[in-house]
Amino acid sequence: MNLSDKGKIVRISVDAMGGDFAPTEIVKGSVDAAREEGVEILLVGPRDIVESELRKYDTDGLSIQIVQASEYLVEGEHPAMAIRQKRDASIVVATKLVRDSKADAVVGAGPTGGVVASALTILGCVASLSRPVVGGVFIGLNKKMVAMDLGGNVDCQPYQLLDFAIVGIIYAEKYLNIENPRVGLLSIGAEEGKGNAQNQESYPLFKDSGLNFIGNVEGHDLLSGRADVIICDGFVGNIVVKFTEAMGNATARWLEKNLSGKIADEELRALTMAYIAETNPAGALGGGPLLGVNGVVVVAHGRSKAPEITGAIQQARYAVETGLVENLKVELEKAHQAIENRKEQ
Amino acid sequence: MTIEIIEDVVRNTVTRITRKDISQFTRTTTFKDLEADSLDIVQILVALEDHFDIEVVDEELESITNMGDFIDYINRKVAEKTARSA
Repeated sequence: MNLSDKGKIVRISVDAMGGDFAPTEIVKGSVDAAREEGVEILLVGPRDIVESELRKYDTDGLSIQIVQASEYLVEGEHPAMAIRQKRDASIVVATKLVRDSKADAVVGAGPTGGVVASALTILGCVASLSRPVVGGVFIGLNKKMVAMDLGGNVDCQPYQLLDFAIVGIIYAEKYLNIENPRVGLLSIGAEEGKGNAQNQESYPLFKDSGLNFIGNVEGHDLLSGRADVIICDGFVGNIVVKFTEAMGNATARWLEKNLSGKIADEELRALTMAYIAETNPAGALGGGPLLGVNGVVVVAHGRSKAPEITGAIQQARYAVETGLVENLKVELEKAHQAIENRKEQ
Repeated sequence: MTIEIIEDVVRNTVTRITRKDISQFTRTTTFKDLEADSLDIVQILVALEDHFDIEVVDEELESITNMGDFIDYINRKVAEKTARSA
């Protein structure tokens, strides 16, 4: 049975043991999602632990099942090796449910490397793509800009960065309605020779790709609107995302301190909450899709609490219903073919 | 199954996943020469386990220095599986 057929209820497997606040917040967010989103939830983890969390809630009328997994990944393990050593880890079992068509999507709150490694080895990449990528709109202050990779691949080769750019373009075209998106390579200077070895090797590849490549962009361009798709490796991307979030929180605290007593408390609270949301949409949405694998995978933030988990499940449902994976496959094939044709000319 | 067939499968799998030209693969080539990172290696192991229906023990890989060792290891695992099912 293809659960993702239109009109079918979307079934999502959730790694109940992933993230800093697992399983408490993951289970709570999943229950809320089942209630609010009308999705079916498969909570994956050690049955006794997950069951004891689930008992705290009234789940009458909700479709929530527990799927047994005896182990789970912890921070500090080498993710790629950990999923081989812990073959019954919750993220591994949760991802296999998608592979075996028992779930339409999987949501995992980390460790990010473990979610990526599981997706890559169990679901595999769509044809013509070497690695999946974590990305999307990452800051509300610039809602028309897609950044990739935001943490999935800490070491990248130039051709992988080019793949991420193609995925970013497809995302910008299909989900943000941007025509012929401008692509920038994140570096420390606009000129061609600027940047580290990876940047310098990637630049000519981008330049000759036929993509709408505008050259190197700098940190301030993440907010300037100069590029629609900004590409970096996951090492840089993850630092940028976490710094941005921290900056948003710190600025909100600064505003609270300095405006307290000058404007109404309620107004101040609304202002700071709005500011945090604008600087931290990944947190507000609950994470981002892992793009380029043969299945819908949403990587939730490691610090996700229940509302973010609900948001991540909502994203997973949206990705299933909009045919994200199929769209990507078709468009990637076309883009790679165009690059090949260009090389032959 | 002959070692030539096994070598062919290993060569194709390794070069496909690392996106290297098949001519770069010899028995003395290392994973480092192929710029394979940990995710590449895990993908290679999973692909070979699926293909040959074997289980690779990560600790046993520690003594492997090049593709020749790796082919011999996979060959040994396939032979063990064949012997068990005979």
